[in-house]
Amino acid sequence: MAVDANHEEKIIRSICSSHCGGTCEMKVHVRGNRIVRIESDDGEYKPRLCARGHAYRQRVYAPDRLLYPLKRTGVRGAGEFTRISWDEALETVAGEMNRIKARYGNAAMLHFCSMCDPHTLHHVGAFHRLLCQFGGYTAPWGFISHEGATFSAGVTYGTRRKFLSQSEHRLEEYLSSRLIIMWGWNPVTTEQGTLTPLFLAQSKEKGARFIFVDPRYTDSAAVFADQWIPIRPGTDGAVLIAMAYVIIQENLQDRDFIEANTIGFDQFKAYVLGLEDGAAKTPQWAEAISSVPAATIENLARAYACNKPATLATSISPGRTAYGEQYHRAAAALEAITGNLQFQNWLSAPKKKAVKFNPQLESPPNPVEAGAPPRKNALPFRGVSVNSSARVNVSLFADAILKGKAGGYPHDYKMIWLSNTNYLNQLGEVNKTVKAFQQLEFILVTEQFMTATAKMADIVLPVCTFLEREDILAPRGGGIYALLNKVIEPLGESKSQRQICQALALKLGLTDYGDKTDGEMVEHIVTRLSEEVDLPDLDSLRKQGFVFGRPKKTEGGGQPEDKKIPPTAFPTPSGKIEIRSEIAARINDPLIPAIPTYMETWESLNDPLAVKYPLQLITPHLKRRAHSQFDNLPWLRELQTQAISVNTVDADSRGIRSGDLVRVFNDRGAVRIPAKVTERIMPGVVALPQGAWYSPDENGIDYGGCANVLTKNQISPGGAFTPHTALVQIEKVGQ
Amino acid sequence: MQYGMYINENRCMGCFACVVACKDWHDVPAGPASWMRVKTIEKGKYPDLFVAFLPVTCNHCLHPACVAVCPVEAISKRPEDGIVTVDREACLGKDQCGLCLQACPYDAPQFGEEADARMQKCDWCLDRLTEGKKPICVISCPMQVIDIGPLDELRAQYGDVRETESFTYSEELAPSVLFKPKRDERNLAIGKIEVTPRVGTEG
Repeated sequence: MAVDANHEEKIIRSICSSHCGGTCEMKVHVRGNRIVRIESDDGEYKPRLCARGHAYRQRVYAPDRLLYPLKRTGVRGAGEFTRISWDEALETVAGEMNRIKARYGNAAMLHFCSMCDPHTLHHVGAFHRLLCQFGGYTAPWGFISHEGATFSAGVTYGTRRKFLSQSEHRLEEYLSSRLIIMWGWNPVTTEQGTLTPLFLAQSKEKGARFIFVDPRYTDSAAVFADQWIPIRPGTDGAVLIAMAYVIIQENLQDRDFIEANTIGFDQFKAYVLGLEDGAAKTPQWAEAISSVPAATIENLARAYACNKPATLATSISPGRTAYGEQYHRAAAALEAITGNLQFQNWLSAPKKKAVKFNPQLESPPNPVEAGAPPRKNALPFRGVSVNSSARVNVSLFADAILKGKAGGYPHDYKMIWLSNTNYLNQLGEVNKTVKAFQQLEFILVTEQFMTATAKMADIVLPVCTFLEREDILAPRGGGIYALLNKVIEPLGESKSQRQICQALALKLGLTDYGDKTDGEMVEHIVTRLSEEVDLPDLDSLRKQGFVFGRPKKTEGGGQPEDKKIPPTAFPTPSGKIEIRSEIAARINDPLIPAIPTYMETWESLNDPLAVKYPLQLITPHLKRRAHSQFDNLPWLRELQTQAISVNTVDADSRGIRSGDLVRVFNDRGAVRIPAKVTERIMPGVVALPQGAWYSPDENGIDYGGCANVLTKNQISPGGAFTPHTALVQIEKVGQ
Repeated sequence: MQYGMYINENRCMGCFACVVACKDWHDVPAGPASWMRVKTIEKGKYPDLFVAFLPVTCNHCLHPACVAVCPVEAISKRPEDGIVTVDREACLGKDQCGLCLQACPYDAPQFGEEADARMQKCDWCLDRLTEGKKPICVISCPMQVIDIGPLDELRAQYGDVRETESFTYSEELAPSVLFKPKRDERNLAIGKIEVTPRVGTEG
């Protein structure tokens, strides 16, 4: 490296913000205005950086970083742009927003924002404030990652979901588990913070037994598994329900817990035993569906019921299937009937807010949602706004654009603004989304790179990375705080998300958006928090990394959350854990049943389509990316090839060898990439890691390996995103 | 005195944090040279499998083969800590020489893709050790797999296991590395061994 002799090397702290689910501490070495290297914090129980965090210097200085506003010059999607000034860019955006508002109404504008840089100042709130002040817009609902789990937590416990991950600081609960069932969970790759695998390793070293239920022998299975149970995608609910059958038949349930804390056990039992439909949900029944041997299911059920405390670590991944919410409901029922609630992954105990001040940017109500009734599958813990039927499900925006009011959506859509999301790449059925984009009158994308989504834009505004602006990690209700210092000045003319909103507000004639700088906002938040929380001063905060902020004892102030989950007083209609859910019953839809129910997915192997497309596609994470982020960095690209994993049996029958170029296809599209022939996936299942950048040729065949070219753009009745439910065929491409 | 390296193979999850941290710290571009690599060892047939990950780097042998064969004494072993270092100015380069590459059974010598690439390799972060800090691979590992320090102390702390799956101890060279090996109790048939990133010598 060319050492800058004029500047001393300094270390500035930040928190890695890359939508992997984790928040890991970063010590950034700088000389002058240049990052020279990045170090982990190796303090005890400090989450160390993963490969992506260590590669962040390449991201900041990537030759393809977007540094100036761009205007489209060619046809949409051709990727032809020219540099323009910020003034011209913002004039154009404001002009289009005013025109569309006047002609079609505010509801014709969609704005979606994902979780890149997911902290306080530059998150969705920055845009929401602006757009609500502008008279409203159509906002999304639903979590792509875990709407199935969210639905299950909402109807079973009446609360938000919770996951035992680093950010929740409850990992020590793993240490007291005798048995950990890793259901579709691969934290070695997905991580959710690097403390998660570390705690799992310590649990194993203390003697916990690990059983993996997964179509793949993942890297997590490689490190931890005492046993691997391969399972067909989309059939997890059947196995969980058959486990309940074994537990009920053998009387292994925790009767006291069921009596004291749950309702609906009898109805669930009637379903499980087949008293109403005549079909007992036996291990043999589940074996025929899932390919998991009946004896294995029996042993798993007994192990779970008889080794308390046991952790049923049900990942959100199997919930990203058709009827995925039923998998989470079945897992919740199993936990409830065995009284293994201590480790419930998806339960968040009702808590009093220990800190009243909400550091998120404030916003007026969204006028587009005024008077709109709640959606049919609204969840009680959600606010009126998020439950509003005026919103569009995040996964369905392409469908909403294509169909509009005629297709049952609340409005016809003419404009979309996408902030830090690559949704063209990351949502089901890319080719459909491409068509949807072609129908719009105006597309604005705020981005760091020329992603597949940005390529469709009319105007692209350059956003800086989190190392080039100020922010604060300040969870609502208190907990761990940290400052994200500005390490260097923004590259080129890139700006922070909030600065972009400020500048656009002025062009729109909005005078009350707020003119404080990002730095002044951070200072303001720290000052306000310090009234309620014991925090070091600003300078010390800047140097310390994570700080646990203990709420000050004040009259009427809440207490920090109790680590033990109170088994009573759930905010459900009954006040108990609802194995039979009153909230689900009220929705009155046979596809959203009150009892956790196994329902066969669309595109299962029983579908007539399976004759043509006999392989089940799953689209897992790849450790060198966080969704579609980092796909362009050389240090990371050389670690793993984007390839489709195929079992040896399926490869042999098609004459495919490792490294061969194959065509993966179905009626929705085709991808050409190398095959990775492996023993580590079950026959009949193929895995194409999601997040690779869509790169079509002139015939629309994708050479980037983008999994969503093949997935379906359909959500589950309870709202679950469904990328792991898709049938495909593969064939070797001729030389 | 001889420094050594200890690897707890049971914990390594193949996350490559060490690989990228090393490249960032020492400013090594993507390409054929990588001071730190991770081996993935796969054994067995579906569904009976065994998979282990093993970080590999220069072992700073007691009797390094690279030092012995270097015709221009560009490679030397430091008496004070046994760390093997290379003088890239003196090195003749891969095209003209490359003897160290042939001599080392552990593929430690690395060459970039530039014309007339000179040898480079792990020096256990001498710059950090001199400042009293652990090497970057040690402090970047989320699973705390690696330790580096005086070999005697490592032996006292972790035992003296010198071999593991896919790593053979050479009595002649005496590599300074110790393991807590991950054992395949079922003795499954070897499937494939991959090295990540693929370096020039192993591609």
